[in-house]
Amino acid sequence: MNRNGLPFLLPMLALSLAGFVLPLALLGVFSFVDTSGSPTLANYQRLFADPFVLSVLVDTIALGFKVVALTTLIALPITLLYWHASPALRRVIVFLTLLPMLTSNVVRTFAWIVILGRQGPISQALVELGLAPAPRSLLFNETALVVVLAQIELPLLVLPVMAVIARSDGALSAAAQTLGAGPWRILVTVLLPMMAPGFLAGWVLVFAGATTSYVTQSVIGGARLIYLPQFVYREVGVLFQWPSAAAVAFVLLAATSLIMLAMTAAARHPRLAGHA
Amino acid sequence: MTSALSRRQFAAGLASLPALGVFSTRQARAAGSVVAAAFPNAWEDAYRKIVAPLVAAQGTQLVVSPALAQDQLAKLLASPGKPSFDAVLMSPGQTAEAVSRGLIEKIDPSKLKNWDKLEASARTEYGPNVTVEINGIAYNPTMVPKPAGYKDLFENKAYDGKVAWIGFGSNTAAMAWVEIAKLYGGGEDNMEPVFKLLASHMPKVGAIANNGSAQMTMFQQGEIGVFMASTGNVARLKSLGVPCEFVHPISGSPSVPVTIHLAKGAANPEGVYQYMDAAISAEAQSKLALPPTEMIPTNSDVPLTPGIKSFVSEDDLKKLVYPDWAKINAKRAAWTAEFDRVVRK
Repeated sequence: MNRNGLPFLLPMLALSLAGFVLPLALLGVFSFVDTSGSPTLANYQRLFADPFVLSVLVDTIALGFKVVALTTLIALPITLLYWHASPALRRVIVFLTLLPMLTSNVVRTFAWIVILGRQGPISQALVELGLAPAPRSLLFNETALVVVLAQIELPLLVLPVMAVIARSDGALSAAAQTLGAGPWRILVTVLLPMMAPGFLAGWVLVFAGATTSYVTQSVIGGARLIYLPQFVYREVGVLFQWPSAAAVAFVLLAATSLIMLAMTAAARHPRLAGHA
Repeated sequence: MTSALSRRQFAAGLASLPALGVFSTRQARAAGSVVAAAFPNAWEDAYRKIVAPLVAAQGTQLVVSPALAQDQLAKLLASPGKPSFDAVLMSPGQTAEAVSRGLIEKIDPSKLKNWDKLEASARTEYGPNVTVEINGIAYNPTMVPKPAGYKDLFENKAYDGKVAWIGFGSNTAAMAWVEIAKLYGGGEDNMEPVFKLLASHMPKVGAIANNGSAQMTMFQQGEIGVFMASTGNVARLKSLGVPCEFVHPISGSPSVPVTIHLAKGAANPEGVYQYMDAAISAEAQSKLALPPTEMIPTNSDVPLTPGIKSFVSEDDLKKLVYPDWAKINAKRAAWTAEFDRVVRK
């Protein structure tokens, strides 16, 4: 690091310390005291002894993985198209990828209420095609939630992969072809390893976004699908159990951090980092 | 780029910002503004359009901040003595909590010019009641028949998959659950019959929503045809052109007054009094009694409008039910947690 640059970093570091590290430390302290302020481990013991909370934690992490999987399935064709596209078409793909990010997450979530609703186009089409006897709502189930989160988080996966592709040599696949590799072999041995660092970076972002997306989880999932963000909100806003909410928040933070650390570590692996 | 600003000057400038009060919203707002919490949507809009100009005429800016009653309570609890709102809008369920935790102050009625105009029941030591919310059942007449009462919603097949419910965090829902508990052998201190009923009825429930606003969105989109609502909720949906009618349950309509409170430690108490006075004035309440809010006035100079009379007849007023909030609050947290466990997929 250039030592002369340190003074310019100081405001940002001070802001991070005051706005993030200190509140987080306070939250940590809250999680180890009871409502009267005495130190205790009871908040964590209660969480891990309650099967309901554990199942909420497992569901939240599972939701993150499901969204990562679906987002990857959707992102892969887009990124392959980007690989093969001309510079002009690449600009169009980047623009279309960025377009949804120009509207707020809340607006995109509410748009999905219309799309998946009882009177929405999908429900109506199913009835018109004779595939459903009557209009039915496609909201308030986990499949719908995974689909919506995948659409909302998609740019976070596509953009890092595009960034990796943009820096890569376009002649690589042509060289592989010259050496006799077919399309599938090129995909598996050249393109996917090349894109891997981008995917790993994107997965970290998508996983973090999906597991903590309170608005989308509560609006599309309804109140019957309970994930940790809603659980924390309920503990704080309705039950006023702050120590317990702080402990839940820390468990969520620890669980997602561990998974993201694992993904980040994988991204640094020489083979996956594109240095093999 | 060359900069005329040296690093030392920049640092000095940065250090002086707190002295200027740039980071202190409390100081900034104490000067001539009041931050008042109001329920989201209809209340928030109406207070911004009707009450805020009346407060502004007295030289104070009214900043209306949307928050549900339970969220207001949570925010007051988060910073006791340094509240994020100067004034809050609550019903007895939250008021009792706020009083017991020392979050709101008794008011000095002599500072309110319109105090004597209020109905006697609307004058409380912790602030003026600005309306009475009457709760019942909202239904879409193009989707479902008119429900007779709460039992109908569980026992008549016409409502299968069409009714939305919410948990005990909402006052409207808590009151409805208490009434339902009474119908099935429970009451304000016994919610077991409701949980048993709900557990067996879950496959036929239309939706479980997180809050009242989410329910109204679902209703508007045709997702559900019935939800527990106040007359105000129905008036709002009607004003948007949504087919929506209000029905009083045959067991009676649970009702709650809505009160403006002065938060303890408010930055601008005098401004809060100006706000309270404006909200109970005949000028404001006569406008709030019209669509889309159709709030029942508490100022005795304001007559009931024909629109309000269509919601509440003299007979209905005799059948209003006032729940025992002390009993409900004692078990509300436990019921909220239990509700999540019962409805979870």
